[in-house]
Amino acid sequence: MIRSALLRCYPARWRARYGDEFASVLEERPLGPFEVADVLLGAIDAHLHLRGLDAASEHRKGFVMSLRIGGFAALFGGLFWFIGLAGASATDADGLFAGLAVAATISLLVAMAGLSAFQARRYPRVTWAAFGLPAVGAIVSLVGMYGMFTVGDAPVVGSVSPWEIWMAGTLSMVVGSGLFAIVTWQARSLSRPAATLLGAAAVATILIVPTLAGLSSFLPEAFASVASVVVLLGFAAGWAGLGVSALRLDRARPTLEATPS
Amino acid sequence: MNTEIPELGRFAEPALLILVSLSDGPKHGYAIMTDVEAGTGRPMGPGTLYGALARLEERGLVEALPPVDRRRPYRLTGVGETVLTEQLQQLEAFARLGLRRLGQVR
Repeated sequence: MIRSALLRCYPARWRARYGDEFASVLEERPLGPFEVADVLLGAIDAHLHLRGLDAASEHRKGFVMSLRIGGFAALFGGLFWFIGLAGASATDADGLFAGLAVAATISLLVAMAGLSAFQARRYPRVTWAAFGLPAVGAIVSLVGMYGMFTVGDAPVVGSVSPWEIWMAGTLSMVVGSGLFAIVTWQARSLSRPAATLLGAAAVATILIVPTLAGLSSFLPEAFASVASVVVLLGFAAGWAGLGVSALRLDRARPTLEATPS
Repeated sequence: MNTEIPELGRFAEPALLILVSLSDGPKHGYAIMTDVEAGTGRPMGPGTLYGALARLEERGLVEALPPVDRRRPYRLTGVGETVLTEQLQQLEAFARLGLRRLGQVR
């Protein structure tokens, strides 16, 4: 009777797993004060431990969700980005492609937040620092797009036009994505080739933008134009690759969740 | 020097004793208790045993085998064997250091 009373001190979930064998162990030898005290302390520990596991499980759900959302956002952000900007450059249907560019920028902002939240488990300071520049860039870029839709080319801050705001934000986002790529490469949790591609696209952007803007003749202009398309493709593919690797990791969630935190 | 099995807190020592007990083959709960008691001269209570055993199982260091009657045997996993080997090597190095300082060994 005392044995079953002691066993009932344990949580039901614990009893469902260990109850039978634990009862068998209790029956193997006489219960003295040491055993009774030990079992009662064990029961308190089991309650606290299971509560801790529940909290850890909620925490894991949170980062798994950030991985999933970040993965989809990176995948679609990369695709929208390429189609939107390449389409806007190649056709006259500006409205459609501008809409895609807005969707791409918002998607990449979500992707950066989601994947940073996932990677911040290991490198919180560096990850959030690397998140800052591209995130601010994405927001500035969105502000610039909104300005272009509402006031067109008219200057909005001094002599700065919405297009220039958009360009500054977009460049910050692209270059900042390079920082994000470096952190991702170091964290090893997502695809390193995709991070390398994203980082290379960011570095190439720094090299070709002065030529495209007419500020430098370091590179032949024709080469810079072709390179810009390649860089655009690399940037989009890098983000899409990170998205795919995040979603693959999400599929392997049972293994991920089994890892002790 | 860190002689604890990571993240087991006060269950680190019982966990190490359980891993050593399982190192020569699977055992069920009561067999582990008696084996530990025979090896250390100190009793291990059932609450402590199952608190440590549950944590070892969660971390994949031991695994449960199908129950025989109401007794369920446990065995070391590959990871458990690696962790145990590392722990024992650390303890051995620590023991050697202490004995050398005491002048007991060269």
